[in-house]
Amino acid sequence: MTNSNIKEESSFKDPDAGVFVENGVYIRKIYERYRPEYEKLMQSGLYENLTAAHLLVKHEEIRRGEDCIVIKPEQVFVSYPWEWCFSQLKDAALATLKIQQTALEFDMSLKDANCFNIQFLNNKPLLIDTSSFENYEEGSAWVAYRQFCENFIAPLALMAYTDLNLNGLFLMNINGIPLELTSKLLPFKTKFNLNLFTHIHLHCRMQNKYSDNSKKVTNIKISKMQLQNIIKNLQSTVESINLPKYETEWGDYYSFTNYTEKSFEEKKKIIDNFRNIINPEIVWDFGSNTGIFSRIFSDNGSKVIAFDIDKMAIEKNYLKIKHDKETNIFPLVSDLSNPSPSLGWANKERKSLSQRASNVDLILALALIHHLRFTCNIPFENMAEYFSSISRYMIIEFVDKQDSKVQKMLLNRKDVFDDYTQENFESVFGKHYNFIKKEKISDTARTLYLMEKK
Amino acid sequence: MKKNLYFLGIIVLINAIVPQYAFAYLDPGTGSMILQMLIAGCVGVGCTFNIWKDKVIGLFKKGNNDKQ
Repeated sequence: MTNSNIKEESSFKDPDAGVFVENGVYIRKIYERYRPEYEKLMQSGLYENLTAAHLLVKHEEIRRGEDCIVIKPEQVFVSYPWEWCFSQLKDAALATLKIQQTALEFDMSLKDANCFNIQFLNNKPLLIDTSSFENYEEGSAWVAYRQFCENFIAPLALMAYTDLNLNGLFLMNINGIPLELTSKLLPFKTKFNLNLFTHIHLHCRMQNKYSDNSKKVTNIKISKMQLQNIIKNLQSTVESINLPKYETEWGDYYSFTNYTEKSFEEKKKIIDNFRNIINPEIVWDFGSNTGIFSRIFSDNGSKVIAFDIDKMAIEKNYLKIKHDKETNIFPLVSDLSNPSPSLGWANKERKSLSQRASNVDLILALALIHHLRFTCNIPFENMAEYFSSISRYMIIEFVDKQDSKVQKMLLNRKDVFDDYTQENFESVFGKHYNFIKKEKISDTARTLYLMEKK
Repeated sequence: MKKNLYFLGIIVLINAIVPQYAFAYLDPGTGSMILQMLIAGCVGVGCTFNIWKDKVIGLFKKGNNDKQ
């Protein structure tokens, strides 16, 4: 195997196809054994139907060999369910069911319902695994039903009824959140919800009852109409899971800024001037909140990933994006002090956030470093080292100790942060970056910098 | 005869061990498969109930329209 054709580390489960990286581009090899199903997908009209509905990734066939067909799908940024807000996960679940519903109309069926197979392209969830379809056999049940419940219904129910952070359980259970754990964590009242009782609590009991089953089950017969009704029932189950109204400190952040509207507008203008100098193609906005500053870039053609630790801020941003049909900004939940690690088999199945940082031109770190320093105790040196490992340019806001937000953070604790001075900030970041621009925001204790990696 | 019974025994044993979806890489889970059959039945009953409910309501609505 040459360097220009490397198998993707996460692609080892499906014997029908494999994902490779060829000259920096993801390709999929459809193996000979899967050729009949692939041909059926392409010739039955299912591929056209799903791609027209933006539910399946488009691809072009680049070659047909004796042992495989090589396709090149549209390239997407891979994100993971623990980085999604509630509505992103819900939309991914509904997309999966819509795909299954459509597949059944063409006498095919999804052979898996793995949430990692769903990715967002232009903020629309779509299936990236072209080899996920198998022939539908009359009378058969949905082979991926359990996986769907573990990958979608369980985390959605946990986020809605127990705690919004519980999609983080995926980090410990990358194949889906076990139904037994879900059943234990969900409040008692969910046992009176017929849909959740069936797909989670009863499902868990059925799993336990038959866990030691050693007999071949041959008498399961479900008509196609019944199977379609099950899919409809799953759809109404997912649609009925809604988030309670949360109030978070960050959700209303921009209503409680400690500077005037004039300063706020000036900050936006300075950032826009910086943008004009470098014209970045790909921007990662750390601490984006609901994406006000991200939009200075996305509205001008940059592709922005807007990260924030606050799930409700990301939720609000995602709902706004959906409402306004924005395509250049993609919100994701991320705790910068503890970004997504590499996970799975040999720690290579799912990539860390840093491993997915390719071709990032600019990092935005606005009103962020005081949180990293005072709340997470991260020194300037570590910040500069990490940020400079990701992108060439950086726009960063230094928030002085005189700022009321910082003073509030230090109000009831001993100030042990002698290093937190603008002079030291410039000295440390100056080791890693050249300063292109430096602008103070009027009537504030804040300064904006545009830097380029040395 | 004994030999035939021996082979028959092996075939039964293989049938008992080998899962139904021998070529699928995803284990559907026995409990999950049986549950789907139960849901299919219940959803069917629900659909039939809804159809009849709609018919009955339709009858009354039709009656009301006739009066008008």
